[in-house]
Amino acid sequence: MPLPDTMFCAQQIHIPPELPDILKQFTKAAIRTQPADVLQWSAGYFSALSRGDPLPVKDRIEMPVATQKTDTGLTQGLLKVLHKQCSHKRYVELADLEEKWKNLCLPVENFRALLQLDPCKDKIEWIKFLALGCSMLGGSLNSSMKHLCEILTADPEGGPARIPFETFSYVYRYLSKLDSDILQGDTETYLATLKDTLESRKNGMIGLADFFILKRKV
Amino acid sequence: RLFLQSLGPDRLRYRRPNRLNKAPTPLPTLDVWGAPPSPEDPRRASDGRVRAQGARERADTAAQRGGSPQPKVKGRRRWEPRSSPGRALARNRAGSRGAPSARSQLTSPGERRGGKRNSRGRPLRNASTWPWKNGAHTSPAEPDFKVGTRTASLLAQFPEVPKPDSLGRPLLNRRRPRRGRAEGRSQGPDVPRGAGLPAKTPGRKCLEAPPPGGTPGCWATKAGSSGWLGVPWNQPSVAPTSCPGNLPSRPPSFLPPLLASRNPCPWHHAHVSGSHDHLAPTCLKASLHGKRSDRAAGVASRLPDRSSPAMGTYTYTYTSRPRALPCQRRRYRDSITQPAEEPMHYGNIMYDRRVIRGNTYALQMGPLPGQPDPLEIQRQQQAKRRALARKRAQEQLRPRTPEPVEGRKHVDVQTEIYLEEIADRIIEVDVECQTDAFLDRPPTPLFIPAKTGKDVATQILEGELFDFDLEVKPMLEVLVGKTIEQSLLEVMEEEELANLWASQHAYEELRSAELAEVQRLEEQERRHREEKERRKQQQWEVVYKHNETAQKVAARVFAQRYLADLLPSVFDSLRDGGYFYDPIERDIEMGFLPWLMNEVEKTMEYSMVGRTVLDMLIREVVEKRLSMYEHKEYPPPEVKPEDGLGGPGAMGAPLTDEEFLKRSMSQPQGPLSDRDSLQRTLSNGRYVGDMSPQEGSFMEEEEDEQ
Repeated sequence: MPLPDTMFCAQQIHIPPELPDILKQFTKAAIRTQPADVLQWSAGYFSALSRGDPLPVKDRIEMPVATQKTDTGLTQGLLKVLHKQCSHKRYVELADLEEKWKNLCLPVENFRALLQLDPCKDKIEWIKFLALGCSMLGGSLNSSMKHLCEILTADPEGGPARIPFETFSYVYRYLSKLDSDILQGDTETYLATLKDTLESRKNGMIGLADFFILKRKV
Repeated sequence: RLFLQSLGPDRLRYRRPNRLNKAPTPLPTLDVWGAPPSPEDPRRASDGRVRAQGARERADTAAQRGGSPQPKVKGRRRWEPRSSPGRALARNRAGSRGAPSARSQLTSPGERRGGKRNSRGRPLRNASTWPWKNGAHTSPAEPDFKVGTRTASLLAQFPEVPKPDSLGRPLLNRRRPRRGRAEGRSQGPDVPRGAGLPAKTPGRKCLEAPPPGGTPGCWATKAGSSGWLGVPWNQPSVAPTSCPGNLPSRPPSFLPPLLASRNPCPWHHAHVSGSHDHLAPTCLKASLHGKRSDRAAGVASRLPDRSSPAMGTYTYTYTSRPRALPCQRRRYRDSITQPAEEPMHYGNIMYDRRVIRGNTYALQMGPLPGQPDPLEIQRQQQAKRRALARKRAQEQLRPRTPEPVEGRKHVDVQTEIYLEEIADRIIEVDVECQTDAFLDRPPTPLFIPAKTGKDVATQILEGELFDFDLEVKPMLEVLVGKTIEQSLLEVMEEEELANLWASQHAYEELRSAELAEVQRLEEQERRHREEKERRKQQQWEVVYKHNETAQKVAARVFAQRYLADLLPSVFDSLRDGGYFYDPIERDIEMGFLPWLMNEVEKTMEYSMVGRTVLDMLIREVVEKRLSMYEHKEYPPPEVKPEDGLGGPGAMGAPLTDEEFLKRSMSQPQGPLSDRDSLQRTLSNGRYVGDMSPQEGSFMEEEEDEQ
């Protein structure tokens, strides 16, 4: 409310009761997300908040790794954020996506580069974009799959990141398709073998352990 | 004699001295009014004396009895609760009656006096000039002083007594009677006076025990007097204060003539200064100081002073200043701590009569056996009462001064020469002071310090008081700071929690993987183990079979060898057993030979039988022959034993039938042997060997028989 003309003491200043809460949530989000450009991100945050969209907030705090060495500031967390924001629909508008990308203070060039891998017109299937992002994260296909699994999984963090095998296979195929080195036959056999291992399990979920063997420290 | 109560703070009481102290002067009794002592007067005077004394006594007692109010109260009130109305009456008569009558009567004595004085050349003070005649109060004891009837009467009589000078008054009063006396004396020490004195004495005596009933006349008119009591004193209450004013005027009028007349009187000789003024101050001084010794002098000195302006320039001097006899008794105790009571003898409690001795429980038991019983006591009490009544009656019957004539008043007058200060009872006055009721302490008035400092004014304009940015800064600080801090904390917490969870999940994952591995391994292990078991089992069986087989083989071999020799031995044993026999031979053995034997036996038996039969026949015959022989020949001593013997002996071997018969006839015993021999012989064929021994024995028997 507008300040009265005559205010004499500090007690007269009125603070809206909702303000502290909003501030706190915002601050926490900012701390968690650690945006490079707080202002930009804040604009995206509040606009998403006002619209009622999922907020561009990381669930877990992730120290920003955007240094000079790695060109992209893209992290798994960010991808997750994007996924959170965009996963509700299958196809994502490119403009919107770009907006979101920007809000995350990610360099737009990377965005473009990503899109160049699989060029599309106006919208893109989100899964694909995600896959592309994952591929950008990790060098190899396997690592990309791992990232994907971790992003897509509903399991708690650290647990067996399981995703439906269909998704896995779809993405795997897509990525392998994009990657010209990998042969189609190999992909299929690989997938088949994987499937066999999954036969025993009833749920049809593929987890990290199935294809990604962690190097155990002896 | 007049008994005066002291007036003023000193409370000196003067009484006539004791009989012992009394100066034996044959002074005539003087009626207070100054009338020449008449036969009537002495009585009256005595009555007055009596009354006066009685009044004094009563006053004293009343004062003691009545308690506090009485001493303080004006004299008139004090007299009201007096014991006997008669006494009151007497008093009243002396005092109160004197009051109204005083006016009338005062004139008379005054006039009388005045007349007397007039006779001496003194100016006569008109009664009309008396203040009480003018309506002023003449109550003798009205003023606040403790005045007895005597005083009252005196005052009434002598209005000129100066009131303020309490000392003066008594002195003056004293003076007056003295003067009266002197006057009387001056008139002439005649009999009446003297008579008065003796009359006085018995009166005094009587007065030692104040008459209970007072004068008969008092009794008679007691009602009236009592009723009248209140009246006169009421009147005097009108102007008590006028007394002091009035009184001072009195003495001078009276006294100077007296003084003048009493020149030759030694007592009333006083050194009088020329100026009245001189007298007054000295008198006053004397009164203020309250010295008895000076009183007389002061009064004396004053009197002439007072009198002088009214009466002229008469002065009176004393050769010896009249003074009260010093009281021998101590009036005031030396120290406050010593209580003013009867002399306390600090005695031994054991010998104190007030302490009850003996049983306390037996106190109520009534009269002791040695003492008279209650009836006796009662009788004694009655007797006492009767005696008392008798005494009272006697008192009543005792001649007293007749009641004063109408218009007059009896007043007690002191006629003794000496005045003595009465000091048997210390005058005590109760003074009290009352403070106000407790009041609350009033609140302290506010202390408002004086204003110091400079006044400065200032004007505050718009916007000067409040600067938003400034004011909001702390708020913002708190808000933002707190928010950030809180969110940081929360984020950290969440992060920590999430990390924990993540690690936990990872660990769980790992664990499950390991678990799976473990399980697999376990499974593998189990399978291996089972396999191993199976193999082992198999092997065991194999071994077992092998063993068995070997054993079987060995057993077979052994058995074979063992049974190799079996067959021939078997045949041999059978052959030996006769299982392999010749049938013909067997038949012969079995069949023919037994038949043969039987046939043989039979044949043999025939021969045997025959012999036996023969034997029997022989025997019979022999027996018969024997018996026949015995019958025939008994004593045949001999039988043919030798036959027998011979028979058998002779023929031993060839035994024929003859021999048999011989033997049987020779010997009855012989048959037996015969038989035997027969038998023997029979069987000879068979057993030759046997026969021979038998024969031998037979031979012996035959020998024996023989």
